[in-house]
Amino acid sequence: MTNNQYDAIVIGAGHNGLIAGAYLARAGKKVAVLERREVVGGAAVTAEPFPGYRFSQFSYVVSLLRPEIIRDLELPRHGLKILPLPSTVTPMDNGDYLAAWDDHDLTRQELYRHSPRDAEASDEYGRVMARAAKAIKPIIGLVPPDPSSLSLRDMKGLLKLGQYGKSLSEKELYQIAKLLTQSAADLLNDWFEFDPLKGTKSASGIIGTFLGPNSPGTAYVLLHHYMGEIDGAFRAWGFCKNGNGGVTQAIASSARALGVDIRTNASVQQVIVKGGRAAGVALANGDELQAKVVISAADPKRSFLQFVEKQHLPDEFVQQIKNFRVRGSSGKVNLALSELPDFTCLPGEGPLHRGAISVSPSMEYIERAYDEAKYGQFAKNPYIDMIIPSMIDRDMAPPGQHVMSCFVQYAPYDIEGGWDDAKRDAFGETVISTIERYAPNIRRAIVGKQVITPKDIEDIAGITGGNIFHGELLLHQLFFLRPAPQWADFRTPLPGYYFGASGAHPGGGVMGAAGKMAAQEVLKDWK
Amino acid sequence: MSKSNYDVIVVGAGHNGLVAATYLAKAGKKVLVLERREHAGGQLASRAFDDGSRFDPLHAGGQLRPDIVRELGLARHGLAAAAPAPAYVSLLADGRRLQLSTAPGDARTLESIRQFSAADAARWPEFVAFMDKAAAFLDAAYRTPMPRLPHVGLAEGWPLAKLAWTLRRLGGRDMFRVIRSMSMSALEFTEEWFESEELKAAIAAVAIHGHTLGSMSAGTGYTLMHNWLNRGGLAHRPVAGGSVHLAEALVAAFIAHGGELRTSAGVQRILVDRQRVGGVRLDSGEEIAASTVMSAVDPRHTLLGLVGAPELPPEFVWETQSIKMRGAVAKVHLQTDGSHGVPAGTLAIAPTLKYLERAFDAAKYGEIAAQPYLEVTTAGDVVSIHFQSAPYKLRHADWAHARGNLEQLAFDTLAPHFPALKASVRHSRVITPADLERDLGLTEGDLNHGQLILDQMFFMRPLPGWSNHATPIHGLYLCGSGVHGGGGISGAAGRNAVQMVLKAKP
Repeated sequence: MTNNQYDAIVIGAGHNGLIAGAYLARAGKKVAVLERREVVGGAAVTAEPFPGYRFSQFSYVVSLLRPEIIRDLELPRHGLKILPLPSTVTPMDNGDYLAAWDDHDLTRQELYRHSPRDAEASDEYGRVMARAAKAIKPIIGLVPPDPSSLSLRDMKGLLKLGQYGKSLSEKELYQIAKLLTQSAADLLNDWFEFDPLKGTKSASGIIGTFLGPNSPGTAYVLLHHYMGEIDGAFRAWGFCKNGNGGVTQAIASSARALGVDIRTNASVQQVIVKGGRAAGVALANGDELQAKVVISAADPKRSFLQFVEKQHLPDEFVQQIKNFRVRGSSGKVNLALSELPDFTCLPGEGPLHRGAISVSPSMEYIERAYDEAKYGQFAKNPYIDMIIPSMIDRDMAPPGQHVMSCFVQYAPYDIEGGWDDAKRDAFGETVISTIERYAPNIRRAIVGKQVITPKDIEDIAGITGGNIFHGELLLHQLFFLRPAPQWADFRTPLPGYYFGASGAHPGGGVMGAAGKMAAQEVLKDWK
Repeated sequence: MSKSNYDVIVVGAGHNGLVAATYLAKAGKKVLVLERREHAGGQLASRAFDDGSRFDPLHAGGQLRPDIVRELGLARHGLAAAAPAPAYVSLLADGRRLQLSTAPGDARTLESIRQFSAADAARWPEFVAFMDKAAAFLDAAYRTPMPRLPHVGLAEGWPLAKLAWTLRRLGGRDMFRVIRSMSMSALEFTEEWFESEELKAAIAAVAIHGHTLGSMSAGTGYTLMHNWLNRGGLAHRPVAGGSVHLAEALVAAFIAHGGELRTSAGVQRILVDRQRVGGVRLDSGEEIAASTVMSAVDPRHTLLGLVGAPELPPEFVWETQSIKMRGAVAKVHLQTDGSHGVPAGTLAIAPTLKYLERAFDAAKYGEIAAQPYLEVTTAGDVVSIHFQSAPYKLRHADWAHARGNLEQLAFDTLAPHFPALKASVRHSRVITPADLERDLGLTEGDLNHGQLILDQMFFMRPLPGWSNHATPIHGLYLCGSGVHGGGGISGAAGRNAVQMVLKAKP
């Protein structure tokens, strides 16, 4: 039994779980990270569904991962290598295209070709958004204070927040207030006129949410994505060497080096409660592990409605978690290709293949895709974000062959009648025929196809509802309301039980902030 | 410019303009109210059918805030006490009706909800109590002047702290409920309370009433609180003799305090000299001087139409242009022979949340909803139909041609519920968003002078930094529905604006 005795147990070896474990081990704690599956990584895994073709199965780009985590855990030493994803190309229905290259002047010229007015506005827009992202960034690293509490800790937190507010200029505050509450469409309509530009930009406002560009609150999601930072540069997205599994492998390697015991095939059945405190976990195979604290890096529903028996949590809290919105809205199609997709707008192999290719001809196109999803259908004309990792990292596919990752929205988790194989096939077919409109050779190039629905995300990655953020980034599910009012500080109503995943502040993306802050709060409470 | 001895000119004799003017007159100021139309009242002014009989064109009910009624002594000037709220009834496809009253312990309501869900009936009293609390908080917020951030001085900080205390006093649970509910969609909000689709949709309909939003739009939790506050629950409270009596009482009080009202006196321009207001020029060319001008006209029309962009800082112009005005309300009024068969109360065609959302989808793309969300009220022989969504900006038609469709769509939608209605009609009047803009000067036909959306509320209404009713033009203030406290008939915006004017140094 002695080797089943830990200081801390972390449930789930996704990036947040691994980061929480690593930070605790770094502070000298004896830590186990338990993973239900045979692989670590959670939703950031690289899989090889077809021999020789490797995919970032779910999440597929990096940019939000906090730089201090990369430093603290020495991730580059453990194999983390981020390769640039330099451009975004939006094919247009008239055969033309809109491109944003990694060269500022080129991008400006390109936009000027379509709309001189937008080209003029673009730089200023970029500056405003970068300023707003910078201004709001400190909040990401802040443990949300409980505004209803009079405790010293919360008062200090509120004071800190107030001081932070005072440090911003009037203009910055208003900009942030607007960005928090506006729709992406209203924001972009104020700045730009060119539909493909607005469509492509608005896509960042809807990724992972069950909202359309016209829904209030989507400007914030857009900003959330703007906070992506690689080496201090805002809005730079990158691709991880070996796929997004490379990120979690590096974190796992760092965690192991720090002494974390990572156990795979260790499915947690229940959190053991003794004397009103979390005291360990019981595994599905009957094993019991003891620990002073347990941290869940699973989604809120699993963490509180499945792992913990109801009588250990207040009814109101249970109700709040039940009310937490986790509607998955996106799917993925991973394609193994015998040749590159040949886009009619830019024929032949070219720089577009090394960047993102976005099917987002207008905001209305995306809004209409959302309309279908809100009534329980997957979009017949979906928004698709494609990247071809094999062009960036040759190791991802056999020589001369390619892999393409297609992020697709909208595909509702609650599809009418439920997901089944026929619907999955139809969904995959819709995606391929949509791509075919812009790259007619796609169908004949396909040698392998993996279609992932929100239901599959739930089943494989264990995320309830299949929402990539473990819970939608809605205004009433952010900051001190995430995952529930009064419990946004990574603690839970069950003493000794902590919560540090995407369902906690500051929310989703391969960011790691929740895992890190949860570990820090555990250490603060350590007696 | 002719010399004048007015302290303040108020542009527009809608209820907010009149509330502001009456408070100023009561405070001893010499006030002139200018109204473009023949009659005062703005949205409350009555209209006539071909046979000359009058009807309320826009508001089936309304009540000014009780403290305004008291402070201005409106009862003395002919305002009758508010009528008790009638029932709010959702008409369902199968002929069933869901009848709701927000009066505490109303047995019929519980019985009606029980047809659909016993659990919902059990939760109803708690829901009503919560909504009343939430509306009371919103009322307090509407009374609190919104400061400029982040430099909140003591004068503004104190009322704000009081407001925060009001919120805290609700208790942790209700406080968080209020905060969370504001940014939620009506769907999310009602799902947290109820299970029956019929009940959820009936409530969501009130949330989106008058707003270009759907049951799934974020922020309709807030508009539910707003409409609940203004209605005093779910149903409209009719004003005895018509909503115009609110305006008439205000005019009488204003005149009694020595105020002067000129109708058929449209303001063509607000005169500005070196960032300072100097008076107004009328359509007739007449100029009237005053060092303070209050505009009850919507902010976009006031600033870009009456003041003019050249007088304003470029960035401010840009921000003013992007104030979201999105009218999507039309009205169909029917003068009948009395055999219309429509019962009293506020009747809604809002069977499901998806029905409401689909109606909004149409407006979103510039189309008239083929299956509209309707609200029907009666006043004697007159049947009034609130038609939503009928967007101001039509994509494939123009309002001159589309107006006939509205009446037909309304009949088609109501026929299953009221088969006798169509045959009972003698005269009808259709009011489109384009009519609202032309006749009432409402930009884009927006009844609220600016959408009540999250990024246009509280300290962001009408614009961030300008929620204190002032403008970049010294001496020009905004007091209409487009400013903090505004939207609907309460008079809060007019009263708030006066407080700022009386505080300002000349």
